[in-house]
Amino acid sequence: MTLGGFLPVLKRELFAFFVTPLAWVLVTAFLVVQGMHFVLLVSHFADEPQIASDQTPLQAFFGNTVILYLVLFLLVPPITMRLFAEERRSGTIETLMTAPVSTAAVVLAKYASALLTYAAMWAPTALYLVILSRTGEIDPRVAASSYLGVMVVGSAYLALGLLMSALTRSQFLALVGTALVILVLFILGVGEFVAREGTTLHDVCAYVSVWAHMTDFASGVVDSRRLVFYATLTALGLFGTVRVVDAWRWG
Amino acid sequence: MIAVTSLTKRFGARYAVRDLTFEVKKGSVCGFLGPNGAGKTTTLRILAGALGKTSGGASICGFDVESASMDARRSMGYMPEAVPLYPEMRVAEYLSFRAELKGVARRERPRAVATAMKKARVDDVASQRIGALSKGYRQRVGLADALVADPPVLVLDEPTSGLDPNQIREVRDVVRDLAGSHTVLLSTHILSEVEAMCDHVVVIHRGRLVAAGTREDITRQRRATSLEVVARGEREACEVAARSVAAFGDVEATDDGGVVTLLCPISASATDEARAEAAEAVVSALVAAGARVRRVTERASSLEDVFAELTRDGGGEAEGEP
Repeated sequence: MTLGGFLPVLKRELFAFFVTPLAWVLVTAFLVVQGMHFVLLVSHFADEPQIASDQTPLQAFFGNTVILYLVLFLLVPPITMRLFAEERRSGTIETLMTAPVSTAAVVLAKYASALLTYAAMWAPTALYLVILSRTGEIDPRVAASSYLGVMVVGSAYLALGLLMSALTRSQFLALVGTALVILVLFILGVGEFVAREGTTLHDVCAYVSVWAHMTDFASGVVDSRRLVFYATLTALGLFGTVRVVDAWRWG
Repeated sequence: MIAVTSLTKRFGARYAVRDLTFEVKKGSVCGFLGPNGAGKTTTLRILAGALGKTSGGASICGFDVESASMDARRSMGYMPEAVPLYPEMRVAEYLSFRAELKGVARRERPRAVATAMKKARVDDVASQRIGALSKGYRQRVGLADALVADPPVLVLDEPTSGLDPNQIREVRDVVRDLAGSHTVLLSTHILSEVEAMCDHVVVIHRGRLVAAGTREDITRQRRATSLEVVARGEREACEVAARSVAAFGDVEATDDGGVVTLLCPISASATDEARAEAAEAVVSALVAAGARVRRVTERASSLEDVFAELTRDGGGEAEGEP
């Protein structure tokens, strides 16, 4: 399998996304919401200095609160929904796939474009750290592990979103499907607190709990089990997408 | 250059293409004919690598379209029926993207794009967004896309559909220019198109091959010539007189106020000599019956007649292409 065609497809995907108003609405909404969260958290911590002993605004921003999941839940599906669904509906997928490019190259290029978009959306939030470091101290290692967490969780969600987009011709269905998968993964994590301790269900739920994962990452703990879990999810999503694309393409 | 052997494609229980075998030789322009729903698009999509086959095989320049898919796709420019394009891109931008995708080196890309735009006559809209173009321009941007990497084989699915007569003529000129240096397979259901552009014809009906060969071959092969005789006189008498000529099949007569038109079918295997003799015989028979013969014309069957003949059994009913 060669990856010829990866670069032109990646470039076109980025162009096609950022030329739409959807991209800019999404970026704006994301930054407004994150900015509000940041302001709320900082003023909350400023008002009650006594809780600052066991938690920092940084930790609350990336973990231990519902904020991050809500953002991921609303951010990932609109990024990935159009990747395959739009091209299948309009028929351009036929010209794309009859060019001498491999399925893997197309899938990876589309995925890379989503990942770059996602990373670009998070990039301005680094300013919050700059602001915080003016008034207090920030552990750069905690910041790094937090962003690592955001990226690994995001990359898995984006891969699943890509798979959803390959499964249907309807962008809306892809959006709903991706949101559903993210929701199910989150709810499974909640099972950790519902199931009795010691049961298998509890352990499984604890293992897949994005809540627990992000709380770890946000407090500077990089657990290799988390990395393996999200790498596996990402690989499954990408592999599944290649298989699905080949299935409808040769079907 | 293009070889299709016992190609079969089934959608569920329905055969879209069944045991289809034909070949297109290097440098020829082959018209792929058939009524709507005959399986033309399905065949072309399989050739282009956009669809899998059920059984049989197809190859482009000796590369199997499935096992050597990349090489086959590299040797071919394909223009799908609906000409799907990215509406948000500009024409030159799009063609440059397609050239890069098809492996045209960066340095040669601007020239390849310019040449393709010139050939397909879209250079005047180079910097317009595709979404704002008319159907005719979009169609020709699709053609430019097929040409941009200068592949030896071109597969064009209804390249002139939706064009106005001037644009059709332009596309015909482009295709005719390609003949000799390129191998072209183009589908259509417009017969005048085939007569204008193609030297070879493949006719399919309900997924099966019904005729293949050069254009003249096919017209000759299915020749069902008839004589048309116009005479003034009594219809009954004229009909009897014409029927007395042994060489004719079932004679049809129509009467228009004393002017009778006789349609006298003559066997396809009859020699030119026999045809001439039959013409003489019918004239003398009519004169003997007291009619005045105004005109005798030989009607050679056109491609149109052949097509109607070949695809007669319920050809109008569409079976639907996916």
